[in-house]
Amino acid sequence: MRKQTLTWLSLFLVMAVTLSACGTAGSAESTSAESEAGASSELSGTLSISGAFALYPMMTIWAEEFTKLHPDVQFDVQGGGAGKGMTDTIAGAVDIGMISRSIKPEEESQGIFWVSVTKDAVFPIINAENPVAEKLMAQGITQEIYNKIYITGEITTWGEVVGDPSITDKINVFTRSDASGAAEQWAKYTGGEAQEDLLGIGVNGEPAMLDTILKDPLGIGFGNLNSIFDLSGGNLVPGILIPPIDINENGTADAGEVYTVKEDAFGAVANGTYPSPPARFENLATLGKPEGLELEFIKWILTDGQQYLEAAGFVPLTPEQQAESLAKLEQ
Amino acid sequence: MSDIQLNNTLKTEGRLSRPSTPSRARTDRAAQRTFFIITLVPVALILIVAVALVVRAYPILNSYNLSDLLLGETWRPNNGEFGFRPFILGTLWVTTVGVLLAVPPCLLVSVYLAEYAHNRTRTIAKPILDVLAAIPPVVYGVWGLLSIVPFVDDVLAPLSERWFGSVSIFSVTQPTGFGILAGGIVLAVMISPLIISVIFEVLSTVPNDLRHASLAVGATKWQTIRTVVLPQVLPGIVAAIVLGASRALGETIAVLMVVGNVPNIPTSVFDTAYPLPALIANNYGEMMSIPLYDAALLGAALVLLVVILIFNILSTLVLQRFLRRS
Amino acid sequence: MKFQKKHFERRHIVELVIKTIMRLALFIVAGTLGLILWTIISRGLPSLSWEMVSQVPKGGYYMGKDGGILNAIIGSAYLATGGTLLAMILSVPIALYLKAYLGKSRWGDYVRLSLDVLWGIPSIVYGAFGFALMVLLGMRASLLAGIIVLALVELPIMTRAMDEVIRRMPSDLEHAALALGSTKFEVAINIITRQMLPGIITAILLAFGRGIGDAASVLFTAGYTDRIPTSLMNPTASLPLAVFFQLGSPYPEVRERGYAAALILTIAVLLVSFGSRWLAARLNRYTIK
Repeated sequence: MRKQTLTWLSLFLVMAVTLSACGTAGSAESTSAESEAGASSELSGTLSISGAFALYPMMTIWAEEFTKLHPDVQFDVQGGGAGKGMTDTIAGAVDIGMISRSIKPEEESQGIFWVSVTKDAVFPIINAENPVAEKLMAQGITQEIYNKIYITGEITTWGEVVGDPSITDKINVFTRSDASGAAEQWAKYTGGEAQEDLLGIGVNGEPAMLDTILKDPLGIGFGNLNSIFDLSGGNLVPGILIPPIDINENGTADAGEVYTVKEDAFGAVANGTYPSPPARFENLATLGKPEGLELEFIKWILTDGQQYLEAAGFVPLTPEQQAESLAKLEQ
Repeated sequence: MSDIQLNNTLKTEGRLSRPSTPSRARTDRAAQRTFFIITLVPVALILIVAVALVVRAYPILNSYNLSDLLLGETWRPNNGEFGFRPFILGTLWVTTVGVLLAVPPCLLVSVYLAEYAHNRTRTIAKPILDVLAAIPPVVYGVWGLLSIVPFVDDVLAPLSERWFGSVSIFSVTQPTGFGILAGGIVLAVMISPLIISVIFEVLSTVPNDLRHASLAVGATKWQTIRTVVLPQVLPGIVAAIVLGASRALGETIAVLMVVGNVPNIPTSVFDTAYPLPALIANNYGEMMSIPLYDAALLGAALVLLVVILIFNILSTLVLQRFLRRS
Repeated sequence: MKFQKKHFERRHIVELVIKTIMRLALFIVAGTLGLILWTIISRGLPSLSWEMVSQVPKGGYYMGKDGGILNAIIGSAYLATGGTLLAMILSVPIALYLKAYLGKSRWGDYVRLSLDVLWGIPSIVYGAFGFALMVLLGMRASLLAGIIVLALVELPIMTRAMDEVIRRMPSDLEHAALALGSTKFEVAINIITRQMLPGIITAILLAFGRGIGDAASVLFTAGYTDRIPTSLMNPTASLPLAVFFQLGSPYPEVRERGYAAALILTIAVLLVSFGSRWLAARLNRYTIK
């Protein structure tokens, strides 16, 4: 009997040893990524990346496409949130951080270098059966009204939003309770400073936000491009409407302000019609200027990598924005 | 080692020689010493974990006084406001609901299994309880998400609005099924195997003579249980409940997925809440980028540890005394 | 004198009612298990595919495209194996020591108390502790960090389960061996392990099952990646986190795959649970009754 146990134990040990041997044999450790970009024309090494959940799916696509071109490069991509990405980058635990917000001066003074690589946007959402939906789609909602709904709390009924005091339906305001870049952007747009300033019932996670609005005709919330639109078809998720933001504040929802298909929304964000915030640049951050493999990867994202963005629900950079980012890298 | 004691055992036992008695004694003493040192590990571990958390939480304990931290209501780490009260209350509410929902059925089941059930029932019940205990918390969370949250939303909330609308503790103020009740239901199922098995063991320590004596004078089984057995084991039952509560306090993932995670002060079981473990788990990513946030979260872990330790030690001491009687 | 009592006194009715309520409670508890399994299977099975268990996530997996969760399956296997082995190294000696050397001593009581206390500490606290340790040592999120924290979580579970079983071993065998001149160490490794092997294996597999399913401890410490780890210092995915992250996705296809991942995790844990029962039954052949 003891022989049997010993055999099993040794099998385990053999497996463990083989595994670690396989490990150290081939790939480089995930510490420095500035490996052999200079000497040979073939890139190799491991890049570890962490950060915003918003960019995470996109980054895995980029990683896969880049690996197709350079098979010796490997990626370790993690989520964890923009905060984690920043922390990890500063601490040197990862090579690149995905940051779905603008970089703060304190972070830059700790040595953070960043470039913008794509744009995405947060849109307000309401239920398609909202009692004042038609009026809203015609008039739009100004930034000031959003401020009074989300930050100061002065506006509490849908009647006040459309200027009809006879309508007394309450606005059920929803925000995000989890640390969310989308909420951060929405807060900045509506006049707050941070996500914490938003009023409303907190919902945890983007899927839950969408579900909540789908169930509540009196609800108002916000969400990212890629959850509001069905990306393969291009239409809004059935049951959801985007109340136009009356950007030019003329009291009507003009053509560039109404988004019913994803191309409209994309276009508005790309050409700058849609305000930023709540549109935002997604940034990649490194500790110090990127070199070697990091540099090659980021440059690729800014050039060839841009072609994969639209299908994933992100807005490609305009040529000027691209040039700006590339120039920053070259400096 | 003298040659006289060296036996050539190759023919009889298939090995060359039997170690001599002195060398065996030496091995025994060495083993005793090594094993003893190893047993120091669990004892020391508790201290090490506690100390590590205190050290990491120290910065925030230093900058704010304890009552501000524990009783403060605002949680705005960006502004340096760390009021833990919503989270402590959230934890208390979810745990209380969970324990209240779990105890009556668990008590009934354990009494049934210990006093009434056929052996056959017991042999079926044991694997069922084992499987319930083995299901990973994240799977409980998925089940809660798929079954319990819609149940609360579609069935319980409307019922409560109709029947108990005026009672504040049952009032429905938010439209989702996420909340304390959902968390409590999931927790109740998760802690049930534990409570059932502890109460069952405690009931088994009551000698059968007592039961037989009571039955002999004509009492029914239930009368016997009620008047003879249960009073004897009452401390054990309380200990089992406390143990279940301490498990519920620490359960992170399953509760996180259904409780809503909104830091408000709960006033109704249909409110969302944000228990301490969920706070720690949700925000570990932001920890290092906001000053004092990591100390705050690890301080939360420390609070959790202290409370659970107290519950645990007390209930374990009671149970150890009980179970040793058998 | 009136000795005749009514056939159906109130207390008999109470007895019947209570019995029915108890049976109902048992039915509810058992039924809940059925409900849980049914929910997981019915929501997870449609998205379960061979692809899911045989491939790592390809790019675009998190938007609903190709790939699977092999990274998480293997990651969890590594984590749980490593953690269990590490915990065994401490667990087996402690359990044997408690029986063979200590018997009824006070130190034994302290050790048992500590183990019970450690058992009650939630894995999120171990995870936080592990994180603090990692920061102190400058370690990154890695397989090794995850293994160490999992070992901490598994140690009390394993030792307690082992101890429960080993304590019930009748002392006759021990005493017989000691009477024949065995040292305590020899009793421990020859007699106790052989006799209690089914119980020991069950305890180890119990802890292993816990190691596969625990999320809170690996959340901070093991990281996450789409690759299969090739060295101890790589970050690694794990099944519970794979479920958790996929459920938070805005894409419904990804969420459905999250349910499938939960099903895979449940099947794995059930396999370990029933496997240990089967193994224990087979090993019972070698014990003395």
